[in-house]
Amino acid sequence: MIQTIRIGHLLRETVTTPYRNLVTRPTGAAVRDRIQQTLACSDCLTAFLDFSDIELLDLSCADEIVAKLLLADAPPARFVVLRGLREDQHEAIEHVLTHHRLAVAAVPQGDGGPRLLGWVTSDARSAFACICDRGPMGTGELAHTLGWSEPRAAEAADALALHRLVRPDGALYHPLPIA
Amino acid sequence: MTRVIEVPAHLDDRSFDQFAAGFGTWPPEERLLVDARGAQWASPYGLIGMLTAGQALAEAKRERPLLTVPASDEVKRYWARAGFFRHAAELFELHGRVPKAAVTGPSDVLLDVTPVRATEDVHEVVEKISQGASRILHGELGLEMKATLRFSMALSEACQNIVEHAGTSGWVAVQAYTFRRRLGRRVVVIAVSDAGIGFRRSLESTHAKRFGERWGDGAALEAALVQGVSRFRDPGRGQGLAFIKRFLDQWQGKISIRSGTARLAIVPPWDEDVPLSDHLPFFPGAQVQIIIPAQDAEPR
Repeated sequence: MIQTIRIGHLLRETVTTPYRNLVTRPTGAAVRDRIQQTLACSDCLTAFLDFSDIELLDLSCADEIVAKLLLADAPPARFVVLRGLREDQHEAIEHVLTHHRLAVAAVPQGDGGPRLLGWVTSDARSAFACICDRGPMGTGELAHTLGWSEPRAAEAADALALHRLVRPDGALYHPLPIA
Repeated sequence: MTRVIEVPAHLDDRSFDQFAAGFGTWPPEERLLVDARGAQWASPYGLIGMLTAGQALAEAKRERPLLTVPASDEVKRYWARAGFFRHAAELFELHGRVPKAAVTGPSDVLLDVTPVRATEDVHEVVEKISQGASRILHGELGLEMKATLRFSMALSEACQNIVEHAGTSGWVAVQAYTFRRRLGRRVVVIAVSDAGIGFRRSLESTHAKRFGERWGDGAALEAALVQGVSRFRDPGRGQGLAFIKRFLDQWQGKISIRSGTARLAIVPPWDEDVPLSDHLPFFPGAQVQIIIPAQDAEPR
């Protein structure tokens, strides 16, 4: 099950102003608290954080909302995916996640597959693209497709699973459940 | 006895040290007269620097200083339009006729002198700047549209430093003007100043030991601006200045931070400033200036 959390809606509830700018750490922390409260009451498998109502996202808020949400002890079976981001917002999130060596998937508006933001190895990035493109696969198939050894493929797939960027199920690694 | 502090004819980040030297030992014991009669121009940095001095004196519970307004009507009008006198009247005993500020400011004042006291003020500043920033940065300076949002991010992060680190309130102002002497091009300048504890004291408890005898205002600025450290143990802190530096590097911009007795700058090729100036006359708090120049005609 997928739940969409509209960040603009949470912002307006949190700061009780009509602003569409996500700035300052206290604001970011308050919005993150609201996200965590929402997730605590939800049994969704995937949470979309929808930024489409947001104008500006500064680094402090990117850190407080996205990085700290990923760093928090989330239920291991839940996937967090970002949606509705503009390029400058990608940049802010990429910057803070790289700083923490974290990563998250972001889906573009309209068509197009998910994209990774933040820090992962280049192997993990290639494996992510491959799994998203071709669907569930084991490490043998991943290795074959990318021309790698199986241990190399396993290491990349395990890194993605650790960051909750693919869904492991038995011997298979599934793309993020976002459809 | 009254100590007279002469405001340099052109008050900007360079001549600011001359202004700071006028205060002597801080906080001065005597009553102060800030003499701006001969002022011909002041950058946003200079304007909010004067307010910072007034604020620091008030917080040190010194007698309210006097300020004589510029003799030039044109200069007075400009300072009034930038919002200077509105705030100066609360901190100084003003001498001289002050013009009423125009209902709407000149087009090159993107953000008039604005106090930053709390998080809500940062929201307000970012909200106010968003329309004008796009017009100036994209329309006049030839920066990409996305630069406008980065600019607002830089402004937000710079203002948050006051709220989070200064221990008191501060000021921000943003203006566009032609940087004739050093660059010969239009620039947008963000100036942020506070009368707070400064970088050295803010970072002392967590970082002084690592620097040993080198610890001082200059080392503290280096730690913050070059190494990206913060007084908070939260590993996510300290990224704001790093992002500003990266943004400025892309647009050949400049950042300089003065705190206590030192000033550290990331100097672009068009400027001849020195990266680190130490043993300057003491001035309270921290003063940040960010300059973004108009881009060359060729796309970068």
